[in-house]
Amino acid sequence: MSKPKKNSKLPATGSVKAKEREKLRFLARMDYKKMITYPLIVFIVALLLLAVHFPTLGIDLRGGVVVTAYGVQTNPDQLAKELSRDLGVEVRVESFTGVETSGVRIYAPAGTDPAQIIKIMKEKYPNAKYTHSEVQPTFGEIAQKQGMKAIVLAFIGMAVVVFLFFRDPVPSMTIIFSALSDMTIAVALMGIFGIELTTATIAALLMLIGYTVDSNILLTTKLLRRKEDTIEDAYLSAVSTGFTMSTTTLGALLVLWLISTSQTIDNIAIVLIFGLLADFMNTWILNAGVLKWYLSRKPQGGST
Amino acid sequence: MKRKTKRLLLNWRVLLLILFLTGSIATLALKPLTFGIDIAGGVALVAQTEHPVDSNTMQIVVTSLQKRLNTLGLRDITVEAQGDQIVLVKVANVSTEEQANQIKAVIENQGVFYMEFNGVVFGTGKDVEYVGIYQIKPDNSWAVPFRISKKAAEKFAELAKGKPGWPVDMFLDPPVNSLLVVSGKIYHLMNSTEFNAEAPQAPTLMERINRALNISAIAYSNQSAEEIAKLAQGKQKVVLIDVPQELQKELEDLNVTVSYIQRGPGESDHQLVVKALGLYGPYAVGEGLTVGKPQQDVQISGKAPNRVVAEQEASTIYTVLKSGSLPVKLNVVGMQFISPRLGEDFKNQALYAGLGALLTVLAIIYFHYRRWKIAIPVASTSLFEVIIILGFAALINWNLDLPSIAGIIAAIGTGVDQQVVITDELLSGDRSTRIARRSSILKRMGRAFFVIFASAATTITAMSFLLVYFVGTLKGFAFTTILGVLIGILITRPAYAEIAKYLLGED
Repeated sequence: MSKPKKNSKLPATGSVKAKEREKLRFLARMDYKKMITYPLIVFIVALLLLAVHFPTLGIDLRGGVVVTAYGVQTNPDQLAKELSRDLGVEVRVESFTGVETSGVRIYAPAGTDPAQIIKIMKEKYPNAKYTHSEVQPTFGEIAQKQGMKAIVLAFIGMAVVVFLFFRDPVPSMTIIFSALSDMTIAVALMGIFGIELTTATIAALLMLIGYTVDSNILLTTKLLRRKEDTIEDAYLSAVSTGFTMSTTTLGALLVLWLISTSQTIDNIAIVLIFGLLADFMNTWILNAGVLKWYLSRKPQGGST
Repeated sequence: MKRKTKRLLLNWRVLLLILFLTGSIATLALKPLTFGIDIAGGVALVAQTEHPVDSNTMQIVVTSLQKRLNTLGLRDITVEAQGDQIVLVKVANVSTEEQANQIKAVIENQGVFYMEFNGVVFGTGKDVEYVGIYQIKPDNSWAVPFRISKKAAEKFAELAKGKPGWPVDMFLDPPVNSLLVVSGKIYHLMNSTEFNAEAPQAPTLMERINRALNISAIAYSNQSAEEIAKLAQGKQKVVLIDVPQELQKELEDLNVTVSYIQRGPGESDHQLVVKALGLYGPYAVGEGLTVGKPQQDVQISGKAPNRVVAEQEASTIYTVLKSGSLPVKLNVVGMQFISPRLGEDFKNQALYAGLGALLTVLAIIYFHYRRWKIAIPVASTSLFEVIIILGFAALINWNLDLPSIAGIIAAIGTGVDQQVVITDELLSGDRSTRIARRSSILKRMGRAFFVIFASAATTITAMSFLLVYFVGTLKGFAFTTILGVLIGILITRPAYAEIAKYLLGED
């Protein structure tokens, strides 16, 4: 009963997917030398950018005071000037908006009394809601060290697991390099867009390890474990799956970023978006290029 | 068709999903979720011990802090040790700034207590047997009555015999075994009869603290940091009072432990000395106590500028006396304060953001496959996954905070990715012949699950390090990510594969 109905629908899916594949076919035909060179150039540019303009450290890594006022709409520069004058210390003001509410964040150096800032703000905006946090520089240092340790260890852990799964140095190293490049590019973009390195963004970078390895493992598995199709077909099937995966995740993250006014969630979302964009290049161009070269120089049937 | 549906519903993978789903819904209905302080409102404090301590000492710190905060009358407190130096304190339902500051004061007081007379310590915190309810008078003076041990009372009776009007000092966390570097003015004040109660003939404060607590003082007359460091040899630390603050940096560079006493607005020299020493008193000894009869019921008192401060001072003393001292001094190095009303907004926002993300997933998956038969199962599997994660969280009383929610999002994100892998593997079999399909489906599923297990293993490995090595609030993030990924690969992913096989007519 249901058979004909299903069959009539199949071509629809097939054709949408086929169209997608057609669009991506140019990637499959690209010369592997170019596929390896371009992402490497991007990686080096990202490294240079980091050397020139490393993202600033957030309050929780550097120490300092931040007061967040919800329900305040004002010119941040003007407010910063007024507050700096009233408090006698240099403060920075940043405004943000979400679906339900908007507000400002006030950053002051460590040692400033947040109660003082809130008192002055309450005189100007009695109806706003306030939250504050303060971090001593000593704790910031601990958090910095711990963050570095977490990233390095997570990276090593990931590398070991990838090696165990593939037991083949070239594909494993490529996956590990892709993850490294994704993180580097994401951090470089953070620097460009003025997003601070905080414990939350460190968490996002760690999350990135999980996401990037996903797509790379998919590609590597499809190319190494597939015997029935040609490399081009295997690549196309993997890239169309990968394209669906990335767009879905990117869409969900974008919505998250638009709706949330929590800085933690906003920053995690934006860093993941950066990383996933970088990952698209590193997986489907760099990793694919390396694998193409690797498989073409390997004798037939040598892979399982 | 019917038989096929029945077979699907009786498949153990699908049964497992249904079981966990109903279990989670039941748990959530019976046991509501608890939220972290960044959502429900409250205060989070990060405290650091003065030096690294072993795990036993850390345990004592955690237990004592818990006890202390309980005596303050606060509910929903969690005290958690992280590593060898960090203690994380979270208190829910704290609504005012004053309360938050008081919690800070209670954590930062090590609570080492001394009672001293005529340069002799006659009792310490260990001699406090009972602490009564504190009183606050209309003039904002306060008093905390307490009972000291018989031994201490007898010792005092003997010391104070025939000395009416002499000063009794009580110290809370005084800088024992230290060198005070003070301005000439302060030096003079400490060496005068200013702190002698009604007995000018009694030894001065400087003599008393020197004999009782081994605190010596020098007047600052532009000595170099090196000279001061030399004088401080054998002392635990140097305390700077009313001298140039640059000295602090210079001494720290010489590896000397230094604390600088900051003069508050409008604080007199007298108040500055009292603050630096943690001094309560001096109290004049009443005539009745000087006849040699031990008296166990005593009190500690003070005066504050207003009622709120009086209340704070009295309850801090009450708490500290009652709970005893901490084995190591703690400093609050980080503090986050969220008002409960704001938390309510965050909760709604998280809900909208979650729903928004789910609908986006539904829309994008539909856009890619143009089949609700795929889009709806993918999105609803993600929804089931969220429900099961939340059910687990409720079951183990996990406090959902913002990082935990981010972790759930991360898990769902990888979950959707993996479902796409499964779906594509199933669909790519379409072109092959029917017979070839049957054999290849197992192979294709095997490959899909190889990808899924490999990426789950890497995510779990990466997050485990975060769970073990990170301090602060990000543990929740790592925990929910790992939990979500595990639920995904063990429960929802296998069930989704079965459902997709059924819906796409592959089985």
